[in-house]
Amino acid sequence: MGHTIFGKDVYWMNFAGLMILTIIEVAAVGLDLPNDTTLMILVGIGIPKFIMIAAIFMHLWGDEDSGVLTLTALFPAFFILVMILFVGLTHPEAATGLPEWCRPGTYN
Amino acid sequence: MSEDEEYDHPSAWGPHDWHHGAPHNSWSPLIMSIGIGIFLFMLAGAFSNGVYDASYVPMVLVGILVVFCGLIIWWRQDMSFDGHYEPRARGVPFKNIQIRKVAMWIFLMSEMMVFTSLFTTYIRYRTGIENCQTIFERGDWVAQGYTVEAGEAINCFEPASALISTSWFHIAPGAINTFALIISSFTIVQALRYAKMPVGTIEEDVRRKKIYRYLGSTWFLACLFLTLKLIEWFVGFTLPDFLAEFNHGHTHIPSLYEEGYLINAEHYHRHDGSWHDPVTGATMLADIRVSASTFYVTTGTHGFHVALGIIGLTYMTFKAWTGGYTPDNAVSIEYFGLYWHFVDLVWVLVFPFFYLY
Amino acid sequence: MNNKNISRSLVVFTILALAIIIAPAATSFPTGVSGVKDSGCNCHGAIPSDTVTPMIEGLPEIYNYSETYTVTVSFTGGPTDSGNINQGGFNLWISYGTIATLDSTVQSFADNEVGHTEAGNDQTSWMVEWTAPANDKNIKFTLTTNSVNGNAGGGSGSSGDEWSRVSGSISAPVEVIESANPFTVLATLIVVSLVLLIITLTYIFYRTSPDAFDWEQFGPWLAGWVTSTDHKKVGTLYLVSGLFFLGIGGIMALMIRIQLAVPGNDFLTQDQYNQFFTMHGTTMIFLAAMPLINALANWIVPLQIGAPDLALPRLNAMSFWLQPVSAILIFTGIFSGGAADTGWTGYAPYIVSETAHAGTTMWVAGQIMLVASSTLTGINFLTTILVMRAKDMGLMQMPLFTWSIFISNLMLFISIPAFGVGLIEVYLDRVIGTAFYTIDAGGDPLLWSHLFWYFGHPEVYVVIVPAFGVISEVIATSARRTIFGYRSMVYAMAGIGLVSFIVYGHHMFTSGMDPSFRFVMMLTTMLVAVPTGIKIFNWLKTMHGGSLVYRTHTLWALGFLLTFSLGGISGMFFPSIAMDLHLHETYFVVAHFHYVFVGGTVFGIFTALYYWFPKMTGKMLDERLGTLHFLTAFVSYNGLFWPMHRLGVVGMARRHHTYFISGEDVLGALPAEFADWNLFISINAFLFFLSTFILVANIIISLVRGQDAPPDPWGGWSFEWMTDSPPPTPSFPLDNLPVLRDANEHVANEPSKLGTWFNRLMVADEEVSN
Repeated sequence: MGHTIFGKDVYWMNFAGLMILTIIEVAAVGLDLPNDTTLMILVGIGIPKFIMIAAIFMHLWGDEDSGVLTLTALFPAFFILVMILFVGLTHPEAATGLPEWCRPGTYN
Repeated sequence: MSEDEEYDHPSAWGPHDWHHGAPHNSWSPLIMSIGIGIFLFMLAGAFSNGVYDASYVPMVLVGILVVFCGLIIWWRQDMSFDGHYEPRARGVPFKNIQIRKVAMWIFLMSEMMVFTSLFTTYIRYRTGIENCQTIFERGDWVAQGYTVEAGEAINCFEPASALISTSWFHIAPGAINTFALIISSFTIVQALRYAKMPVGTIEEDVRRKKIYRYLGSTWFLACLFLTLKLIEWFVGFTLPDFLAEFNHGHTHIPSLYEEGYLINAEHYHRHDGSWHDPVTGATMLADIRVSASTFYVTTGTHGFHVALGIIGLTYMTFKAWTGGYTPDNAVSIEYFGLYWHFVDLVWVLVFPFFYLY
Repeated sequence: MNNKNISRSLVVFTILALAIIIAPAATSFPTGVSGVKDSGCNCHGAIPSDTVTPMIEGLPEIYNYSETYTVTVSFTGGPTDSGNINQGGFNLWISYGTIATLDSTVQSFADNEVGHTEAGNDQTSWMVEWTAPANDKNIKFTLTTNSVNGNAGGGSGSSGDEWSRVSGSISAPVEVIESANPFTVLATLIVVSLVLLIITLTYIFYRTSPDAFDWEQFGPWLAGWVTSTDHKKVGTLYLVSGLFFLGIGGIMALMIRIQLAVPGNDFLTQDQYNQFFTMHGTTMIFLAAMPLINALANWIVPLQIGAPDLALPRLNAMSFWLQPVSAILIFTGIFSGGAADTGWTGYAPYIVSETAHAGTTMWVAGQIMLVASSTLTGINFLTTILVMRAKDMGLMQMPLFTWSIFISNLMLFISIPAFGVGLIEVYLDRVIGTAFYTIDAGGDPLLWSHLFWYFGHPEVYVVIVPAFGVISEVIATSARRTIFGYRSMVYAMAGIGLVSFIVYGHHMFTSGMDPSFRFVMMLTTMLVAVPTGIKIFNWLKTMHGGSLVYRTHTLWALGFLLTFSLGGISGMFFPSIAMDLHLHETYFVVAHFHYVFVGGTVFGIFTALYYWFPKMTGKMLDERLGTLHFLTAFVSYNGLFWPMHRLGVVGMARRHHTYFISGEDVLGALPAEFADWNLFISINAFLFFLSTFILVANIIISLVRGQDAPPDPWGGWSFEWMTDSPPPTPSFPLDNLPVLRDANEHVANEPSKLGTWFNRLMVADEEVSN
């Protein structure tokens, strides 16, 4: 892969970037910020890290076959979304946590 | 090999002649399947509902051994593969992409679903079970009797990060592991780079050395990852004296095991005394089995993938040492690299959500 | 050849090693076969000693109903000495009745089993009371006694102890012929089937090459099969194992039907019934239907797309060999009498509880291996179909069977990791003691239901969609025209595939769910009828424009249309939440899913067998026997499952080991005529089972002395008909690859808007538009 970033070798630049992002990540946790802020920083850093590894180390950017392979990699997105929404985030206490009007005995 | 018939491969034990597309018989699938069966059967004997019976352990090891026998046959057959017979896709949508590359990406789709399922479990429990710290801060646990003194434990979610992110030294193994994986991702693309260099632009012996050294360092980093994981889970470590002042004067960093963060932790309380109620002098007692199971199984599954990577890398480093990776066959490193980067990607998610948050 | 000798000795060594490995496992089955403590107090040495003479007094030769007998057990001989601190011990087991203890020297282990206590160690004679059963039984008893050398204290480590055993029987007032233990029946039948299978295969080998029947030929022949990575051979292996387990599952179904033939029956106990329907479901879905589909896919897909083999042949062999091994794990429970009793859905928290049979762990372990197998299969077929099509065969020119395998593998592949992870969680819960589904740790059993059905619903489409593909092929060929609405057929299958992931909640309407989630699932489930309907009407329209040739496979395909439509229509009752609450866990559900599984998948597989058998073996099947098979099977099949709709609507509950009838309106009892209906169903079940033997006979007769098949006996036009029957290796001459003659070619010449748009996203390729 003959690409460069700022004139430097792409693998090397990517590697350096990942290291820096990870240092920020660990620091954010060590700094005792409020929980929500930590979460936002972690997600905010996780996404670019994710993309950097996928795009450059896994050759989803810049090669002639990158386009279709990116589509392949994105194919499960819908199913992942379904699982996280339907399984991960449905109310775990639905049986007891149902609204009053749809419990047995209160139909009228 | 094939005097009698053009497409005849007499030995199913390997090595193979890969220069045509005829079926290549192999004992490996049968042997590996039997090994996996023995392993699962005997593991269920060695542990039953958490009760340990050592007499089955040799058989568990036999199961693993049988799997390795199958694996060695598989590798023996693969050794002669030099990339000459690597078919490419003939039609849309993957036209001209190597078959194994497509297969690897499709395999990664399944891996994505595996880790999605584990994360889903985590999300469901994390959002569905009240956090221990929240309960502690609300304070009504004293009145309800969920104290060490009363011996009654409350069900709540205690993320491992509550222990790990308390000090820099607790994060250290996880953080070093993060760097180890990123570096190993880098070393494996470097191995690929040297393997891909066209013949003539690099001396073959230099190529061979570069490849096996880069693969070897990937292997080393993967082993480092698992070692640190074991230290973090079971062993703990001791700080040199000059660092102790940064850790409230303690020199020992306890492992999660020593902290009591275990899958059978029915009666758990934090050892650093942070669940101590200053007014009544009571300490909150929690049942955190679900949290611990989620943590260990998710990070353990990731660790298992690293272990599989180590097994693969062992073979690949050996093959590289014999000079098996030429520009023709560089793609083999790329396919393993895809898996390896994927393991790294998963860690990018596991690390913040299980170790930091 | 030296190499050959090494190979052979390695084989022998492996077999020996395996025998050594497996032998200890035989004693480590979850429970002993009979449940009796055979070795008594086996801490006292392994071999019984003649010097100890156990005695039992007070048991009658023939008992009276419910009478209580005082029994004295004692022994003489051995190292017992009145100066010893400990002198002896015993264990008494009587197969029926109850044993009561009289004093503190005896303790009870079970209703029918007692032993000495620590206080009882000091003597050589004990007294207990045995109460005879109130009905006629053939009773056996076993007494084990130990003569103790005198070591004081905690029992273990006795040296020089000796023990012996005495057994006997007590007769009933009226002589009884006892009904057999269902597990013994089943285990025997499984072993008998296995032996018959081996004999049949050996006979076929002998008939096809009578001169070569010696070990020199047979050994390599066998090794060639078990090591093969050729898609045709692996396909045949799948076919044989699939048919074998179809038979085993059928035997279990028959035993369930024996139990249900009359009300209040006790052929199977509740406990055994649970195990039977669990193993029946698991066997049929995972060990029969899926391998049979894989058999067809392995055989036909590479031929249909003109590929030399699957993309990853060794992985293909691996996905096959995981299956028999996992079957052994799943069936360990049957041979130990402690098989999984969780239902094929294995709902939590029961599946992780210690009450669930020990065999459940092995059931889970076997399923994990099947998940691995399906994942490998998925990689293989998706890759093969995507990358190894013959030149110029676009996606939209693939035969519909290949499309159906593609879609079903995609569904399976994406959904099965959820099941796998759920299973691993359950396995770890049961083995190392994690707490994913433990209620008192805060674990959420609904999570398992979600993960299971996230996989489970796509799974039921996974087994039906390939049948769609088969029917499309067969109806088009038999109607001697191209399929009507090829493109809509593909989109319908893809639609089913997509929708299958968002309908799974309808299995859990009664388990407690967010109401809005229920509503969404209700709508999406109703949506499934749309693509399915499109397919049915396309098939009808295909026949309408053509002129049918009535072959056996045509008959089966027509039968499929009828039964599957009925199954589909009964399925449309479930998405309606209110209706589902009434019909949930009744025989209406049983009727529905057997109409789609048997009337859909199994009929589809039979269709495919009759259609492709000449291609696979080069021998024609007998059309007369085939027609007879179809007629008997179709009639008895409908007689078997159609009445179940009515039973269910009135309220006969599924998964209950028996039922009771009453002439009056009594809570918990069914109307009196239900006994007749159930008997009718049971008789039809036997007829349906027996009708399958016509197929087996047909296959054997055909293999032994069938007519040779021409390359294209039915007038099909896809690639598999353009090579010899059976196909050589490689399937097509490499310098003379077949050319697409399918009438579906017009599809590629008029690409749709969606297709054009999609093509632009793909690798640029001028040849595609040709």
